[in-house]
Amino acid sequence: MKHLRITLGLLSLLGCSAGWSEIPRLPNGKPDLNGVWQVLNRANHGLLAHPARAAGAMQDGPFGPVPAEAVIALGAVGAVPAGVGAVEGNEIPYLEGKAALQQDNQANWLQRDPEIKCYLPGVPRATYLPFPFQIFQGDQAIFIAYEFAGATRNLFLEDPGEAPVDSWMGQSYARWDGDTLVVTVTGQNDATWLDRTGNYHSANMVVTERYTPRNGHVIDYSATIEDPEVYSRPWTIRMPIYRRVGIDARLQQFKCVEFVEELLYGELRKEPLNPGRQSPLPKD
Amino acid sequence: MKHRTLILIAAAMLTASIAAQAEPYKAPRTMHGVPDLQGLWTNATITALQRPDYFEDLVLTPAQAAQWEKATGEQFDAIDEISEDGLEAGGNVGGYNSFWMDPGTRALRVGDEIRSSIITEPASGRLPMRLGARAKLGQFLMRVQGAFDGPEQRPLGERCIVGFGSTGGPPMLPVLYNNNYQIVQSKDHVMIHVEMNHDARIIRMGAEHLPDDVRPWLGDSVGRWEGDTLVVETTNFNPGQSYRAAIKHQFYMTKDAVVTERFTRVADKEIFYRFEVNDPGAYTEVWAGEQTLRATDGPIYEYACHEANYAMRGILRGARLQEQDP
Repeated sequence: MKHLRITLGLLSLLGCSAGWSEIPRLPNGKPDLNGVWQVLNRANHGLLAHPARAAGAMQDGPFGPVPAEAVIALGAVGAVPAGVGAVEGNEIPYLEGKAALQQDNQANWLQRDPEIKCYLPGVPRATYLPFPFQIFQGDQAIFIAYEFAGATRNLFLEDPGEAPVDSWMGQSYARWDGDTLVVTVTGQNDATWLDRTGNYHSANMVVTERYTPRNGHVIDYSATIEDPEVYSRPWTIRMPIYRRVGIDARLQQFKCVEFVEELLYGELRKEPLNPGRQSPLPKD
Repeated sequence: MKHRTLILIAAAMLTASIAAQAEPYKAPRTMHGVPDLQGLWTNATITALQRPDYFEDLVLTPAQAAQWEKATGEQFDAIDEISEDGLEAGGNVGGYNSFWMDPGTRALRVGDEIRSSIITEPASGRLPMRLGARAKLGQFLMRVQGAFDGPEQRPLGERCIVGFGSTGGPPMLPVLYNNNYQIVQSKDHVMIHVEMNHDARIIRMGAEHLPDDVRPWLGDSVGRWEGDTLVVETTNFNPGQSYRAAIKHQFYMTKDAVVTERFTRVADKEIFYRFEVNDPGAYTEVWAGEQTLRATDGPIYEYACHEANYAMRGILRGARLQEQDP
C-alpha cells in the first residue's frame, strides 16, 4: 500500500512536470503569450558582462574611482550589481571610431541617459528594464503595455509598410514562425539607448525580436540588432523572460513624467529649491 | 415575363430587407466567445459634453444639424485667417493652426438620432454640479490662466502626464485632436489604448478593485459582461485628475467618484458607449452620457508628449523672463 502511494505520488509529480513543459495555447492554436512578464537580469545596467561597482556615475578618487557627487547620497542603493552579460560573444561590434560615443555617453550618463528623463525606452531596452510588461494577445492584434513610463507598442500582424516617420517605440511587425513570435522593429529614432552604459544606435537600426515560449512560464527572448551605420555586423541579445504569477501578475502604473519634473524643470521654478542646480536638458 | 421577374426580385429583396431589419445585430465573437470589440475607434464629434444654450432639445433635426456643422466648419477654417496687416508686435499669436487639430466635423449620431449634447441625463443636458464643485472648478480654471511658478501648477495635459481633458477618462470624451482608441481583448482583460498619451487602460475582467491607497491616473477599472454589453466600473481615481478641462468639456470629479461605462457593439463599425458618473460629493444626481465609437482606419501613431515637451520649459522660462522685465 505504501509503495502504491509512493508510485502514485511520483506519477502525479511526473504529470506536473509534463504540464510544466507544455506551451499554453489559445483556441486558435497559437501559443498563448498573454500575461505579465519580466526579465530578471542586469542587462539594463550593462549589456556586456560586468562586475558590481559603486555607482553608475563615478569620479576619480585618491585610490581609484568613487561615486560621483550627484549620486553619493544614494549609497548602496545607487550601486550597480554584477551582470553575466546578455550579448552573444560578449561583444558589441562597433565600427571603427564608433565606440567613442558609447564611452562618452557612459561618462555623461546622468546628463544623457533617456531612462533618467523618463523617456520612452525603445526596443529592445523596454524588454529588460527592471519593470514588468503585459502582453495582450487578441484575434486581430497583439499589444504590449510596459510599466515603465506607460510605454505601449502595437504589433502589426499584417505588414504595415514603411514606418511613416521615426518614433521612440518604432513600428513593430509580428508574424509567427512555428511557435516563435518574430517581431521586426523599424522606424525607431536615434534618441533611445540600449543600456545604462551608453550603448547607442542610429535611426537606421532594425531589431528582430524572437519570443519563443519554453513553457507556460518562460519565454526565450532574443533581439538581433542590425545597424550598418554603427556596427560592423548584426549582433544578438539573449535572455529568458519570466511570467509573474498570483498577486504579482498585475501591471502597476509607473508614469514617471511627474517624478522627473524637479530634475528637468526645477531650475525654472519661481523659487528654485536648489539654486545652481542644472537641468540635463539642452539650454534654451 | 420580364416585368413579372422584376416584381418577384423586388418582392424578394423587400422581404430580405425586412428580415434583415427585424434581426437584431449580433456582434462578432472573439475566440473566447464574447462580443468582439477589438479594433480602432474614434469618438471625434463637434457635439460637446454639455448642451449649448442655443439648443433646447437633445435631438436635433437634420436641418439644425446641417446648419450647425456648416457654421462650426466655417469657424474652424477661420482659425487660419490672419489679418493682412500681420500681427501686432507683442500681440497674441494664438494657438495651433487648424492643421494640428482634428475635432471632427459632424454632430454626434447615436442610433437614428442627431444629438446636441453628450449628456443625456439630466434631461437638461447640463452638469448637475454642486455649488462647491462649481466653485472649485472655477478656481482651477482661473488659476491655470496665470499660474507659472512651477510645473505642478500647469494642467496634466501640458505636463504630459495624461492627455487633455477627459480623453482617457473615464468617461472618455472627445477633445481637440487624437480622439482615437484601440481595443484589444484577451480572455481575462480588455485593454483600451488611448492615443493621447499612449495610455493603456487595463480592464481586469471579474477582478476586485485595488486597495484604496493605490490611485492610478485614469483610475482602476474592472469589467464584466452583461449580455453582449461590456460593463466597466472605475474607482480609485487619482485626486490630481479631479479637474477635467478641455475646450469642449470642463468638469470636476471627486476622487471617490464611480464611473460605469457600457460598451455595446451595435454594428460592424459602431460601438454604443454609455457612461454614468456617480459622485455625490460633486453632483446632486447621477449624470450620464452617450456616444458612438466609430470604426476608424488608423493606425494610431505614437503620441510622445513628454519627450518633446519644449513648451514646459518655454512656459516657465517665459514667466521668469517676464518677472525680470514685466
